[in-house]
Amino acid sequence: MPQKIIIDTDPGVDDTIAITTALRSPELEVLGLTSIFGNAITETTTQNALRLVELEGHDSIPVARGCEVPLLMELEGIASDVHGRDGMGNTNLPAPKGKAIEKSAAEFIIDTVRAYPGEVILAPVGPLTNIALALEIDPGIASLIKKIVLMGGTVSVTGNISPVAEANIYHDAHAADIVMQASCPVVMVGLDVTEQVIMTPQYFEELFKAENPATNLIKRILPVYQEYHDRFRGMGGSTHTHDPSAIAYLIDPDLFKTQSVPVFVETKGHCKGKTTADWHKQWESRVDTEVCMEVNSSGVLDLIKERLTK
Amino acid sequence: MRKFWIDTDTASDDAVAILMALRTDDVDVLGISVVAGNVPAEQGSKNARYTAELCGKKTPVYMGATHPLMREPEWAYFFHGNDGMGNMNYPEASLPLQKENGVFAFIEAVRANPGEITLVTLGPLTNIALALRLAPDIAKKISMCYTMGGAAITLGNVTPAAEYNIYIDPEAAKIVFHSGIPLLMVGWEHCMGEANFSADEMKMMRSFNTKYADFTLDCNATAISTNQNWLSEPGLALPDPVTMAVALDPSICTERGSYYVDVETIGEATHGMTVVDKLGVTNKPANIEVCWKIDIQAWKNLLYERIK
Repeated sequence: MPQKIIIDTDPGVDDTIAITTALRSPELEVLGLTSIFGNAITETTTQNALRLVELEGHDSIPVARGCEVPLLMELEGIASDVHGRDGMGNTNLPAPKGKAIEKSAAEFIIDTVRAYPGEVILAPVGPLTNIALALEIDPGIASLIKKIVLMGGTVSVTGNISPVAEANIYHDAHAADIVMQASCPVVMVGLDVTEQVIMTPQYFEELFKAENPATNLIKRILPVYQEYHDRFRGMGGSTHTHDPSAIAYLIDPDLFKTQSVPVFVETKGHCKGKTTADWHKQWESRVDTEVCMEVNSSGVLDLIKERLTK
Repeated sequence: MRKFWIDTDTASDDAVAILMALRTDDVDVLGISVVAGNVPAEQGSKNARYTAELCGKKTPVYMGATHPLMREPEWAYFFHGNDGMGNMNYPEASLPLQKENGVFAFIEAVRANPGEITLVTLGPLTNIALALRLAPDIAKKISMCYTMGGAAITLGNVTPAAEYNIYIDPEAAKIVFHSGIPLLMVGWEHCMGEANFSADEMKMMRSFNTKYADFTLDCNATAISTNQNWLSEPGLALPDPVTMAVALDPSICTERGSYYVDVETIGEATHGMTVVDKLGVTNKPANIEVCWKIDIQAWKNLLYERIK
């Protein structure tokens, strides 16, 4: 039985790699995509989510539109310099055929979790607003969610959107703090591991040889993302592997080593969005998050390549 | 018929406010959503269902948020009694609790009746904040929101700076106040002093000899003594019914104005404070209206009418 998942996403270049990988993986059954702001505004990411389900004939997978603004903070720092104004590397793709379903993302998450109690893994790879809203509206789902595997945060390396914060957490720090207190198991796939998985120009070339709809799209939208990584991190055409690493975790968790630790999220000031691991349990009691601390980088890269080129 | 929706953390004064709406002939209460506040949402929903049944209504009662957005709940048993109803321990109503979540039911009701619904909020604003985040379009589809909460011209009650409903979920209040929803804030000051029901007035209410008057006084038994002993107020204070009276008859609010109003969410001593920029010193556009004065006799007369 494939693992049922909902991907909550703000596509996004690396979201695109993650989602196409997930849709091509027999171990995973994608029950739906829920959209959120982050790499672009929610209106845009919803359109992109629809494009991604339609790309390789997964039109029957529902897309539910998510929240337009963070729970409490102002919407800021939309990453158009990283992913392009359209979230797709400024490629101005044609409009998708389908439409988002009537239900909001949070409602879709609640209904789906309740329809398959104990079976669904939530895989948020964007800001956590929809997940937090679902947990606030229906706290009962916490015991019915099998697991939350999120891409976001960092406990051991510097931030990306700020010196201390990773972008997904930064965009809605309050929502992230709610998720870090959820009673279901939470796995954090953060910069601690995603920055160790490097996709090089040679790696991309090998992907592009497949010339399927997924790799053709990735090839089109990638340059803006590569330029960002070069401009800010001097990576010369290579990129980190953020969202796809979370999908790799879902397919093969053995590629990662985790440590259980309570994680707190700062919601104010310069350190807004910083995720702090309370290793020695000095702060108030809080449930543990399983934080990915080590990764088999070549294993993750091989897995993604295998899925995208087959 | 005027269409109302009531969001409530149903304890004793909420119950009286619900009764007032349900016993107004030209008002149709489409739904009651319950939120955690005075009592846990489950207890609140019991109290709301009991109240509806007392009034002979089958109003759908929904349970909403069981927890403030970012904070731990702080129940008000000390004020309303362990059941929220003056320790009357009323029996379980036969009116069932709706299965649907109150947040979703509220969104659907507003969308199905655009521009028509008067919203009356009697508790912390968690449900309404969640609804506005899920469905920001509803802000402009609500005809008017009357909110019992805050303190514009007086001190706080649960803290020196903050009124209970806002204090319990200031983040939610901030979301609602800045959402674009047309809203009149009726602070707790409007139930104080002269707006209290004196011993003589309560005696008169009892002499109505109706189940509604008895209910009003009985379920507020704890509230009456706490109001006098703790707040040194003269009699029975009914903050939620004052707000409901204004919603039912807006002319009961005799002085109001639009201001930039913010909610303190960070302050160490002041979280939950409603900060009204009456002098316009922030140069920020008005977001809500504030009620400054009510016609006290008109408010009391409206309640008398509904419980006779």
